Amino acid sequence: MKRVMLFLLSFLLPVLSNGFSYAGDKCLTCHKGLSDKPSSLYSHDIHSSKGISCAGCHGGNQNSDDMEQAMSKEAGFIGVPKGDDISKVCANCHANLDKMKELGSTLPTNQWQLLQTSVHGKSSLAGSEHIVQCITCHSVHNIVSVKNPASPVYPLNAVKTCTKCHADPAYMRTYNPSIPVDQFEKYKTSVHGMRNSKGDPKTAECASCHGGHDIRSANDVKSSVYAVNIPSTCSHCHSNAEYMKEYNIPTDQFEKFSKSVHGITLFQKRDVAAPACNDCHGNHGATPPGVESISKVCGTCHALNAELFSSSPHKKVFDEKKLPECETCHSNHEIIAATEKLLGATPGAVCSRCHSENQNPKGYVIAKAMRHLTDSLESSENYAGALVTDAEQKGMEISEAKFKLRDIHQARLQTRTMVHSFNNEKFNEAAVKGLSTASFVAGEAQHAIDEYYFRRWGLGIATLIISIVGIALYLTIRKIEIKQQNKNNGIKEN
Amino acid sequence: MKSAWNKFYSWLDERVQLQNLIQFMGKKYVPVHSHSIWYYFGGVSLFLFIIQVVTGILLLLYYKSGEEFAFESIHYIMSKVNFGWLIRSIHSWTANLFILTAMIHMFSVFFEKAYRKPREMTWITGMLMFFLALGFGFSGYLLPWNELAFFATKVGTDIAGVIPIIGKPLMIFLRGSEEVNGATLSRFFGFHVAVLPGIFTVVLGIHLVLVQRQGMSEPLGLEANSKSGLKTMPFFPNFLLRDLLFWLVVLNLLAILAVFFPWELGKKADPFASAPAGIKPEWYFLFMFQTLKYIPARLLVIDGEVFGILLFSFAGLLWMLVPFWDKKSNRGEQNRFINYIGLFAVLYIIFFTIIGWLL
Repeated sequence: MKRVMLFLLSFLLPVLSNGFSYAGDKCLTCHKGLSDKPSSLYSHDIHSSKGISCAGCHGGNQNSDDMEQAMSKEAGFIGVPKGDDISKVCANCHANLDKMKELGSTLPTNQWQLLQTSVHGKSSLAGSEHIVQCITCHSVHNIVSVKNPASPVYPLNAVKTCTKCHADPAYMRTYNPSIPVDQFEKYKTSVHGMRNSKGDPKTAECASCHGGHDIRSANDVKSSVYAVNIPSTCSHCHSNAEYMKEYNIPTDQFEKFSKSVHGITLFQKRDVAAPACNDCHGNHGATPPGVESISKVCGTCHALNAELFSSSPHKKVFDEKKLPECETCHSNHEIIAATEKLLGATPGAVCSRCHSENQNPKGYVIAKAMRHLTDSLESSENYAGALVTDAEQKGMEISEAKFKLRDIHQARLQTRTMVHSFNNEKFNEAAVKGLSTASFVAGEAQHAIDEYYFRRWGLGIATLIISIVGIALYLTIRKIEIKQQNKNNGIKEN
Repeated sequence: MKSAWNKFYSWLDERVQLQNLIQFMGKKYVPVHSHSIWYYFGGVSLFLFIIQVVTGILLLLYYKSGEEFAFESIHYIMSKVNFGWLIRSIHSWTANLFILTAMIHMFSVFFEKAYRKPREMTWITGMLMFFLALGFGFSGYLLPWNELAFFATKVGTDIAGVIPIIGKPLMIFLRGSEEVNGATLSRFFGFHVAVLPGIFTVVLGIHLVLVQRQGMSEPLGLEANSKSGLKTMPFFPNFLLRDLLFWLVVLNLLAILAVFFPWELGKKADPFASAPAGIKPEWYFLFMFQTLKYIPARLLVIDGEVFGILLFSFAGLLWMLVPFWDKKSNRGEQNRFINYIGLFAVLYIIFFTIIGWLL
């Protein structure tokens, strides 16, 4: 009985598997005889090891010795697929969960769907197919698992695979003339690139940040490298303590960044002008900024602050003590909103870390004076704002003063910038300007409030006068009419 | 004090014969009856017109016409000029109260049939003044050059533009060009401070002379019973002093409105901006504007909007010519049909104004 079963199975299996069976594949037998490249490569292909024959992709009858019958249209032979048909052939199995399970695969089955919606899914120059097909990255006939170091999409090879197109200016220009083609050059200089070239497959390569099949333009909000999404993309690795263990660097950057003024602006206000990881560290050429370059990195946005600091007396001292310039006072990932509280000699103020009444007293006095002025400016702004609101609520025309409120706030921001000069005169100039504007606005608003009461009092007095005149007029009319009545009665009497 | 006044009065009387005028006015009598209250609305309208002239002249001292200056100059008047806010608010509120009191005056004359012979010309001049008042309102509304005024003028002149044959030339004449722009503002300013006041003053003069010559009309029912002795009061001083009392009340009302509800300026007009939602004309045009909305786009062979405009024009013309077709009232007979027409007009205006205001 057992023998009969085995005999039957040896005939039925190739038929049931509908071309998946590699055993007795006549296509391969003939093509190997011809010594062509595809057949020689295919024996190392992962699909070959899964028992998928040539007919699995090309169609036809792999059991027939007759070439014409094996490659007949009736047998489903499609020849060498072209354009999107290539990916569709792959998707026949890779988008079919049942078939993949049947082959013992746990791979996802949405790659084809993702590819079509990705930036590579756009129409090619010919207009009849997508820019990228499966084989563009995965190769053909010698496809191996992504975990196999021989795979073109293995982490150590992926960069070179992407570079085939992305480092070719002539090719890239045809699709997007403004897209840079130096990513690979930059990548080589990055910490990621250097480690990758040394054979560390754990370091980030193209797909780590951009994704594999669902690569989208950096301007696309769904992209993993869209400004708002970048921190979480980086944090996939950098917040994973286990994964980062061997690199000996902190893994709390994302947590700190989320609480920072930059993180709040980026995540909560969805303001893409706020810096993400790549704005300070670089993207393709990502490295931690060195102590010397921090002020330059911050200075790309905070230009005036950096310039003032560079010409301030602190520059020399910081350089001598090898203190990172901006970071010393503002921290790095957890930069909190720079308020007046950072300034001065109070316990929370950063100045007091180096300046005290006994140690570096000159700076202590100046910091104290600066804080005093900023506090005055803040309370003046609040006072003026409250008066303007009051006047406005009373229905008074106060638009000019309201507009000038912005100038006070602007002066406050200016004083915060001027702090970086550590020059008392410059700081005072900005603060006094704000104080005088606040005084003007408060005066105007107070005048409007006074005017409001003046109008009501005026109306009251006017109403009183009009009422008195009205009563007098009424009495006069009565008097006249009584006189007239008496006169008429007199005439009648006479 | 009294002797000083007498001396001054004698001095003046010697030169201008004041006594003759007082005697003339003293001989003029005003009928006293249950509807006498309506007599005062003509006087109140006159008082409001005088206020308009005075406040208008004061505003002219600071107002600058032109796209670049109009809004800013009104803003300056409202915020920097001493009592500028008061003058501008009173001018704006008075404009509206003037139309309202003129309307009440018109309807009271209509219901009392005071337009009947021999007062046909008084009615016609009154109606002309009412139309001129609407012109004052329409032209003055644009002068602050704010957003609402700009688009209301655009809509208003667009409506004028659909009148057959004369519509397009009329629209260009009003606007000074194809679009509402600085040329329209200059033109409306000219209409508002020169053309309309000139014509209005002449028509007002005729109206007042006619009123003085013909005296106050008596209601039809009372006229019939006049033989039993109609109650009257002298125009001077009795009626005139009562008029003054009423004017004082109106003056106080204006002051209250100006202080508690100062006329807003809004946003400066931007010809390139899209029209704000729910743009509406002034309340006295609202019933017509709302009616035009309800008329279908096409009525047989005629455009719906054109039909509406022609309908209102025809109704206005009939209304103005009522002394000539209301033969019954001219014969001194009661004409209930006129009352029904008047009542319909009042209800129609109130209903569609409210609908227009709410929607």
